[in-house]
Amino acid sequence: MATEVCAPRLVRPERRSIARSLLLTLPILLWSLLMFFHPGSSAEWESRIAAAITAVFMVALFFMMMRTGTTYRWRRCFLVSLGVLFPVGFIHNLFVMRGSMGIPVEEMIAGRTPFCFMPIPTLILPAAFTRTIAFPGSIVPAGSAASHGIAAMVGMWLALTLVMGKGWCSYACFFGGIEEGVAAVPKRAKIRKLDGRWRYGPWAVLLAMVLLSFALFEPAYCAWLCPFKAVTEYISARNVLGLVQNVIFILLFAGLVIVLPYLTKKRTQCSYFCPFGAFQSIFNKISVFEIRIDKTRCKSCAVCQNACPNLSLSKESIARGETLLSCMKCGACVDACPQQAAVWHIKGTDVAVKPERARLLFLYGAWAMAVMFGGSIIAQGLATIFHFLA
Amino acid sequence: MRLRSTLGYTAAGLTVLAALLTPFVLMGTFAKGVAALGLHVDEMYTGGPKLRTVEKGTYAIAIHRTVYPHMLQTEKPFVQLDWSPVSALPAHVSDDVDIDGDGQPDVRVSFAVPADRKASLRVDVEPLNGRYEAMRNAGKERYSRLIVRVDDAILVRVPLRRP
Repeated sequence: MATEVCAPRLVRPERRSIARSLLLTLPILLWSLLMFFHPGSSAEWESRIAAAITAVFMVALFFMMMRTGTTYRWRRCFLVSLGVLFPVGFIHNLFVMRGSMGIPVEEMIAGRTPFCFMPIPTLILPAAFTRTIAFPGSIVPAGSAASHGIAAMVGMWLALTLVMGKGWCSYACFFGGIEEGVAAVPKRAKIRKLDGRWRYGPWAVLLAMVLLSFALFEPAYCAWLCPFKAVTEYISARNVLGLVQNVIFILLFAGLVIVLPYLTKKRTQCSYFCPFGAFQSIFNKISVFEIRIDKTRCKSCAVCQNACPNLSLSKESIARGETLLSCMKCGACVDACPQQAAVWHIKGTDVAVKPERARLLFLYGAWAMAVMFGGSIIAQGLATIFHFLA
Repeated sequence: MRLRSTLGYTAAGLTVLAALLTPFVLMGTFAKGVAALGLHVDEMYTGGPKLRTVEKGTYAIAIHRTVYPHMLQTEKPFVQLDWSPVSALPAHVSDDVDIDGDGQPDVRVSFAVPADRKASLRVDVEPLNGRYEAMRNAGKERYSRLIVRVDDAILVRVPLRRP
């Protein structure tokens, strides 16, 4: 079960001409203009400049995807930016609203706890059996905060999942961006042998958290295990229990998001721990896009397996010509394969017949979502930085 | 195979269409669908629905329905009482409250109202019958046993004795 890890070797397919690449980028350019520039908007100058920079950034990355025919490194630029800038905007908002990153019990009782996508799987059983949301937020908050309620976030998650399946983890998850950034820092992995059995970790955490949340009627993952509480919003430590919770958050963040990604060059939190990632894997079953291995070309060199940041390829799955269910469609294996045997694929079609068409169709949907969701977060983070610099 | 291929490309095209519709139609439709499911946030957080309001001259006390914990939830049943508006409260509040509406007071609640809205609150609750638990200088230890200020109200949660 041990996996030999080495740095991904990028083999670039033939470059497109600039004109053709621009033509293919045009829809995303128009989409970005639509998403970032609203006629009659009364946004501050910081927000307008941030939106312009973000739009150029997103369009430029897509152009490079079209020009080079590769996906991973450009998508990574976006996701790492998202991971870095999300906490900037989010923490700034918390300080403006309540003067602290800690969430006091008053805010929970008032239903003003910001709701992210992470607890979605743990809410299902309590909601199904008792029509109760076991989370201290608001389903539809009053006033201008209505877009930040539980219903809005679940609605957005459903829509993005319909489009991307587990591609969410590669094109929308700001938390994943942090560890992807850390994993990109070292040139080579310090730990090269990873036990493949760890890939069942997220499923175990998911099962435990779903059952525990149902039994205790609380978002158990948010309360006890979310590593990203360390860089977003922690529980106000009003007693020893709160202190213990915060120590757990910091240790998990340091271990799974900083130290292990640096040592392994993998997204270890996603691969070993994230229950939302495991839950999201299920939606790969309904997603029409996937990565396949063309068995006629594959030389079983395992370069794709080593390049995968998420342990989503095994020798067995490669032999079957498939990725594992946890594949997040980041494109690392496709870009790394020296035989171009790892290909984008649309279910129902022949493998390796027009894979670029499959890639383009997936990327148009995924990048449109990335511009809309992640782009707005990047713009908000940039606007916050400009606000402090001004 | 040709049919499967056609269906595959059709589904892929529909997925791109779904992406284009997401910010304008899909997201809002899904959000409205979730909101229309009739779900509610756990009463352990919200304090449950208000049953009635007792007027006390310049201010009022709202009495909520008793909240019972679910399954293994590690809280006691409690009743939430809201004093509002805070600006109309005296510097020290001491009220006998008839929680169950039988004409007899059930608890005597006493707390100071500091001028600084960020100052921590402390409450004493003296039960006037065996149904409720006493609270001495309680802050915000548990969801079922606390005093907090939320917006323009001071909320006191009085735990019930287990039968």
